[in-house]
This record gives sequence, structure tokens and C-alpha cells, in this order.
Amino acid sequence: MPRRIHYGTRALAILTGLAVALAAVGPAAAQSKAPIRIGEINSYSGLATVYTFPYKEGLLMAAKEINDAGGVLGRPIEFIFRDDKLKPDEAVKAARELVGQEKVDFLAGCISSGVGLAISAYAKDVKTLYFATHCQTSRLTWDDGHRYVAHTTNNVNQYVRALAKKAAALPYKKWAHISPDYEYGHNVWEEFIAYLKQLKPDVQVSQENWPKLGETDHSPYITALLQSGADAFISSVWGAQEIAFVKQARPFGLFEKVRFLSASVGNPDELDPLGKEAPIGAVAPGFAWYDDGMQKRHPKLAEWVKKYEARAKKGPTLGASWGYASAYIIVEAIKRAKSAETDKVITALSEGYEMDFPWGKVVMRGCDQQAVPPQWVGVVKMNPQGKPVLADIEETHGRDVIKSCDEVAKLRAAAADKKK
Amino acid sequence: MPRAGWLGLLVVALAVAPLALPPFFLQLLTEIAIVGLFATAFNLLMGFGGMVSFGHAAYFALGAYAPALLVKRAGLPMLLALPAAPLAAAAGALLFGFFIVRLSHTYFAMLSLAFAQIVFTVIFKWKALTGGDDGLLDVWPPAALKSPAAYYYFTLAVVGLSLLALRLIVDSPFGYALRSVRENPRRARFIGIDVRRHQLVAFVISGAFSGVAGGLFAFYNGSVFPDFAYFTKSFEPLVVALLGGVQSFYGPLAGAFGFKILEWLVSRQWPVYWPLFLGSIVIVVIVVLPYGFVGLAGGRPWRTRPAAKA
Amino acid sequence: MSGLSVGMFLFLVSVGMSLIFGVTRIVNLAHGSFYMVGAYLMVTLVEVLPDRPWAFWVALLLAPLGVAMLGGVIEIGLLRLIYRRDPLMQLILTFGLILVIGTLVLLAWGPDNKSVPRPAALAGSVRVFGQPFPSYYVLVLGLAPLVALALWLVFYRTRWGMLIRAATVDREMLGALGVNVAALYTQVFVFGSALAGLGGALAAPTVAVALGMDGDVLTTAFVVVVIGGLGSFAGSFISALLVGLLQSFGILVFPAVSIVLLFAIMAVVLIVRPWGLLGRPEQ
Repeated sequence: MPRRIHYGTRALAILTGLAVALAAVGPAAAQSKAPIRIGEINSYSGLATVYTFPYKEGLLMAAKEINDAGGVLGRPIEFIFRDDKLKPDEAVKAARELVGQEKVDFLAGCISSGVGLAISAYAKDVKTLYFATHCQTSRLTWDDGHRYVAHTTNNVNQYVRALAKKAAALPYKKWAHISPDYEYGHNVWEEFIAYLKQLKPDVQVSQENWPKLGETDHSPYITALLQSGADAFISSVWGAQEIAFVKQARPFGLFEKVRFLSASVGNPDELDPLGKEAPIGAVAPGFAWYDDGMQKRHPKLAEWVKKYEARAKKGPTLGASWGYASAYIIVEAIKRAKSAETDKVITALSEGYEMDFPWGKVVMRGCDQQAVPPQWVGVVKMNPQGKPVLADIEETHGRDVIKSCDEVAKLRAAAADKKK
Repeated sequence: MPRAGWLGLLVVALAVAPLALPPFFLQLLTEIAIVGLFATAFNLLMGFGGMVSFGHAAYFALGAYAPALLVKRAGLPMLLALPAAPLAAAAGALLFGFFIVRLSHTYFAMLSLAFAQIVFTVIFKWKALTGGDDGLLDVWPPAALKSPAAYYYFTLAVVGLSLLALRLIVDSPFGYALRSVRENPRRARFIGIDVRRHQLVAFVISGAFSGVAGGLFAFYNGSVFPDFAYFTKSFEPLVVALLGGVQSFYGPLAGAFGFKILEWLVSRQWPVYWPLFLGSIVIVVIVVLPYGFVGLAGGRPWRTRPAAKA
Repeated sequence: MSGLSVGMFLFLVSVGMSLIFGVTRIVNLAHGSFYMVGAYLMVTLVEVLPDRPWAFWVALLLAPLGVAMLGGVIEIGLLRLIYRRDPLMQLILTFGLILVIGTLVLLAWGPDNKSVPRPAALAGSVRVFGQPFPSYYVLVLGLAPLVALALWLVFYRTRWGMLIRAATVDREMLGALGVNVAALYTQVFVFGSALAGLGGALAAPTVAVALGMDGDVLTTAFVVVVIGGLGSFAGSFISALLVGLLQSFGILVFPAVSIVLLFAIMAVVLIVRPWGLLGRPEQ
């Protein structure tokens, strides 16, 4: 026994010494004309890659455009990517390395809400500005908001309210829902029903379903929805789980009997694999760049799509547009600040600004540093080629539905009270 | 150099590290120390007691959540909250371990996994208390311990004392009784050792020190998440101990070192390939390096002999 | 009804895991990965084969064969090298396999979600007691008992089955009697892998074929196998039905605790009867 222990200690001592020596000759300090470095933390391995790969394409596409046009303040921008393995503690660790070792100027990224909130808490602590990108929880800039976090894409509140607005225009009174039993699912359902009741006070909730996140068998919920007596239901189940739900619900004729609204079924990561089994008639938000009405309303959209397709070899997704917009929104803040210094960029953000994108105007609201983009709600239909698409797109702008700055201030005050 | 010499060198290297290392590497070393403690605590069961737990994430998570909850919900300062980590973890280990140690081999592993999944589900679902999926944020140490160097020294001290305690336990009569239980439970019983009780005590000790690791990690990370209790987390100490070598007391520490450095190097460059890489290493170590890399350093012959039966 | 079909699914998915444990004492954590590979192979086969009604059935036959080959390679190339070691080492090795196979699937098939359409004949539903019931589940309800019956015939009416049953009781004795136990292990592992592949291929039309489906199925299969008794295939059948029904009804009756309940039942079974409802205690 002692012999082996001896070797263990020796190995450990040698390894430690090596690491100390290696790390002491770390990277040299940044030069003045050096790039503006943005540490980008996202889930680049495993099951969320279906979202993050297109997102990264969009981000890199914008970064290339920006750098080809001379960068910002004469400096190129550079993204340094790190994988969060879909775990908040891994994300914090990556953030630490990016801030401490890579000396990045800003942090960006997130797909999971938990990851976004964790990076945000860390950013606040080390006073580094963090641009949350792909995750959608409204808590980021509201309940848990602070000056060191900005959110460059849609939040749950906006697209759920846009969907609820559409729902209020439909002739349905009795509502049910199916939501995964975790933060996001609860958020969507609560925001949806609260806004729907505000718009249409006689709405009733007839039945609720809370499958666990990642549930593969939905038959009990499908049966329950069928027997609920509801006129319509909303789903915040997403991704692979919603594909399974739709495939399982179809043979029961659920979508013919109860009108289907969904927070995510309109996205290509679900519609494409569903193919002929897509839920025709479902009402859903989505980025329907292929839609004629969309392209007429936004003349520059077709060209952007072509450029993206040339690069990525497939059509864009909502996430791709978010990646693209995020890079430009970050750069715009730096441009307005005329500096990459954190405090100046925050000042620029807190004054708010608007930007035109190929899909319309995005407002960066000053009071909460929250992006307010256009919202689209459509209906799932088959196109002539037999592919499911989102059609009959109706556009509202996020600023027409989003909670006001006053309401946000109240949310923050309530959250601060709760902490005490 | 004699053993004490190497140990002294190690202590000196660790002590002066903050002078030479940038903050990030101190944080990496902090994390290595925490994971190393977790794996060493785990290895008290696996290497010395012959019991393989697949649910040690449960005790790590209890150790992380207990002080985090005291800080967030009761407003206690960290230094008062931290002792709750080993206490909560030990309580959990006593409750679950009471049933787990009654089983052997595979069933021991299965039941420890089942309990860990229960802990995970409760943390994930009990949103009002635990914050559910979003976890508990802003769990920071007091200002004096906040800097990477300060928390590094603090962690080193706590981990060092814990390791010393574990070392003393391993070398105590209890430690030797535990080994005899591992080698041959029946014979151990014949010579008057209460096998179950020894196993349970070892389980609780192991759980308590896993809890210390969890508590240290909570304040290092500044937040706690349900992931800490998930079954993949239970494999971390296992993989780390295997990498380093389960037959040696310090093997898991060396394993933690190698694992975290490798993870950092590979994952930042090729994130997609990291799971592939890790999986391959686990397979290779099991098939060709039954004594881990420490065994390799010690010049152990590459022969496979039946490992100690649980 | 739906609880019944869920149970049947669970049986198909988990029986292979139980079988492998029964003979080789390996808890194959990569079982979910094999299931996932079966589903992904199904996607590719349905795409590649001509768009005819028979294509689905041919794919359903070929996908498990592909997984069986994968299982064979793993058994001969890796597991066979470490049979003399503690069985838990094999378990940890299969954990490594989860990571490796997960990444290889991502590299081979890409990150996008996939789906297999149901064959046209089974796309709709039939009426059972006035309630609509998906035709595809009728297939599952029919197929699972057939598989169970086939397994029973193999186990109790063939020499090979007799050897397997003997191996679950006393492997050393079997080896001493001159049976090639190593070959038997390989055969059983291949057979169990094929069953996992069949489960994945059969499930493919009812779920999204996506990364992460390995983990989802692993936990459930694991619970089923442990409750039923590791190594007992009748136990797996009964426990799959129980878990299926519990999932279908329990979720509606006590939604908040249903998952905890599943693991709690597993824990209680392990405490009271570690070898499961119908398993056999180890000597």
C-alpha cells in the first residue's frame, strides 16, 4: 500500500509543478488595436446543438460582415466560444475563464434559461457586461435584471402575449394547456392565461396538463385534453418532446376536436421532421422567412436568406436570425458608446436605440436593456410541395404587447423585497 | 526523494501558486481540490470498502443546497452556513445508507442510484424552496474570501484538513477493518467485525465529506443547481477515481487533476468531441489500466487480476 | 388502453437489458444508446428504401440487425476483455459507451430532429369501446406479446434457451460442463442489443428521433428492469405493465409526485426484494 501512495503523491507534485510553470507563461496582454473580444457561452455539444449550430452560423455571418466593413471603432470583433454542456455551473466556469484568463470585453450567449440566469448573476458580481442571446426567460432583464445584463432577443413575455392576442381574436372561451413541468413551462402558461384574461375577461380554464420535461409518452394527457371540454389549448412543450406529442395526438384526432396553439411548433426544427404529420391549422409564432407576405413586408429579407443559405447550406431558423441580430446589437452599443469600456457601453444601452434588420425594426429598450423585436404569429399549413409551413402570418410589434417600463420596475421592486 | 519530500514540495508548490498563477488557474486548482475531495470521499467506499455508489451526487447536492438555503432563506453568513453541508449530507447518507449497505454488488449501486434520483427529483420539483430548475443564485462567500486567491486558500485549507481526516480514518483500526470487509466479508464477520455497521459508518463518512465538497463548490460557483444531484454527476467521482487509480489514497486527487485539466483543454477547443474523448478514456482505463494513471506511474505491471470483490 | 400499450413498449425496450444482465451480470447502461441507434437506423432505412408499403417492415427488420452487429462488436471488442473483473467495471464501461455513442450519432446524423412517418396503413385510429385508439398502438399491443411468446419458446423449448437459463443460475458449473460460455455471452449480448434496436425502431414513428432519447429511455427501462427483477423476463413483462399503467393513471391522480413515486417504488423493491418481483436471489 505505502508504495503506491508514494507514487501518487509524486505524480501529483510533478503535475502541479508542471501546471504552475505552464500557466505562468500565459498569454501576453492585449494590444491596443487588438480585436474587441466577446466570450460566447452556449451549448455546443449534445442535444441542444439543433438550436445552437444555426445560431452560431448567424452570429459568425454577422461578425464577418462587420469585420469586412472595418469592424467597430476601427477594431475587429472576435467571438471566443465555450461550451456550457447545458449546465449552469459549467457556464459559470466558462465565464470565469473568459473573464479571468481570456480577458474578454463582454460575455454573450445562453440557450437554457438556467444558464442565462447563472451567467447573469456572475456577470453582476464581476461587473462585466453580459449579453444574453438565445435564452428567453423574462426574468433575465426583469425580476432578476441589473445593469450588467442586456437581452438581445425576444423574451417569453412578448411572443406569448403576441400569441395570446391572436388567441383572444379566436372564438374560444374554454382553454386548456399542456406545459412541461419546469420554469419555462410555468412561465409560458402563466403569461399566456393572464394576458388572455386581460384581453378577454370571460375566458375560462377547463383543464391543465403538466408532463415532465422530456416525457416520451403523452397518451394520458391527450386523453385528458380530449375529455376536457376545452375549445382550444396551448402547448409550451418544445423540440423533440413536442414532435412526439404531435405524432401521438394526431391519430386521436385531437387537433380536429380542440384547437391547437403552440409556442414552438411553427419552428423548422419541429415542422421539418413532422412533415406530413404536422398539425395543420395549429396557431404558432415563428420566423416564416419563406412566406410571400413576409418577404413583401420586408423587402431585404430574401437577400439575407440567400446569403445565409450560401453560408450554412440550409435555410435559416429563428435562432440563426437571433445570432445574426445579437452580433449587430452588441456592436451598435459599442459604436454608440464610442468605447468598449463596460460602463460607457451600459450607458449607451440604457439610453436605448433602434436598429433595422432584414426582418424589421428591433428596439433595444433602455429601461431594462431588453430587445423588443417584431412578433409573428401564423397558422400551420401544407405548401404545394407537401411541406408544412407557417402561413397567414400576422405581424405585431413587440412594443405593442410587452410589459411597460413601469411594470418592469414594479417586478424588480417586488423581487428585491422578496430577497430581504 | 523520500515521500515526505515530495509531499513537502507539493505543499510548497500549492502555497506559492497564487504568486505565479493568474486567477483563472487558481480557480481551476480550487475546483480540482473540490472534485479531488469529492472523489477521495467516494473512494473511501470504492477503494477501501469495496462498495461502489452510483448515487454520490445526492450527498454532494445535499452539501451544496443545505448551506445555500441557509444563506438565501435564513440570511446566515457563509461561515456559519457551511457546517450544515457535512451535517445535511451525513444525515442523508445515514438515512439512505441504512438501506443501501444491506445490499451488495450491483444492487448496492442500483439502490444508491434510485435514492439519488429521488433527491434530484425533489430538488427539481420543489420550486418554492429550491428554486427548481433555475437553482439558487448569488450564493457568494463573504468579501474577505471572495478573491480567487482567498477562496483558493480557504478551499485548500478545508480540503487539506478533510483529506487529513480521511487519511487518519483509512489508517485507523476502523480503516483496516473496512479493508478486511472489502476483501472477505465472511471472514471479517468471523473475527468479530460488524460488517453492516462498518459499511454504514464508512458510507456516512463518505457522504459527509462529499457534502463538504458540495458546500465548497456552492460558494465557489456562487450558485447551486439540480444538476448537482443528477446521475451523470454521480459518475464524476467514479471516473475521476478510476482515472487516478482506486487502489491508492491519493489516486483520486491525481485523477481530479488530470480530468479537470484534460476537460479544460479539450472542451474549449473541440466541445463536440469532449464526450467522445471522455467516454473513450473511461473505456481505455477500464480495459487496460485497472490501476489508473497512478498505477502506471508506479510501474505496476499491466496485468489484470480479479479486482476486489465487493 | 393507452397504459397497456405504454407497458408493452416498455417491455420491448427493457427486456433486452434484463436478459443481458441475467446471463452476463452486466447492467448495460448503453441500452438506451442501442435503442437510439435503432431509431436512427430506422430513419435512414426508411429514407433510403423505395417509398413502398413494404419498406417500413423491411426497415423494422434491418434496424435491429444493425444494432445487433454493433452489440456484437462491443461485446467481442471490449466487454469480453474484462469479464473476469468486477461486474461493476463493465457497468462503468457501458457508461463510457453512452458518451461515445451519443457523440458518434451526433456526428453521423447531425443535430437536427428526425422523424419516421407511420406506415400509411397504421396512420389512423380504430375505435375501441367508442374511444379512438391509434392503429399503430394496436401493432405494438400485438407485437409485444408475440415477442414475449417467442422469447418464452426460445427459453423453454430450445437447447439454447436451456443453456441461457442454466447460465443465469450457475455460470461456473455450465462452463465446467463443457459449454462455451464466452460464445453464449456474445450471443446473448447480441440478442439483447437487437431487442433494444427493435424497441427503438418500433418507437421511432411515435416519437422524435433526436439526441437525448437515449437518456430518456434508459431511466425508464432501468426502473422497469429493476422492479421486475434483473434477469427475469417474465418479471420485466409484469413490471413494464405496472409501470405503464402507473405512468398513465398515476400522472393524472398524483401529478406532482409521479416521478418520485416511480423511483420510490424502485427503492422499496430493492430494499424488500433486491432481486425484483420475479427475479431470483443470487447465491
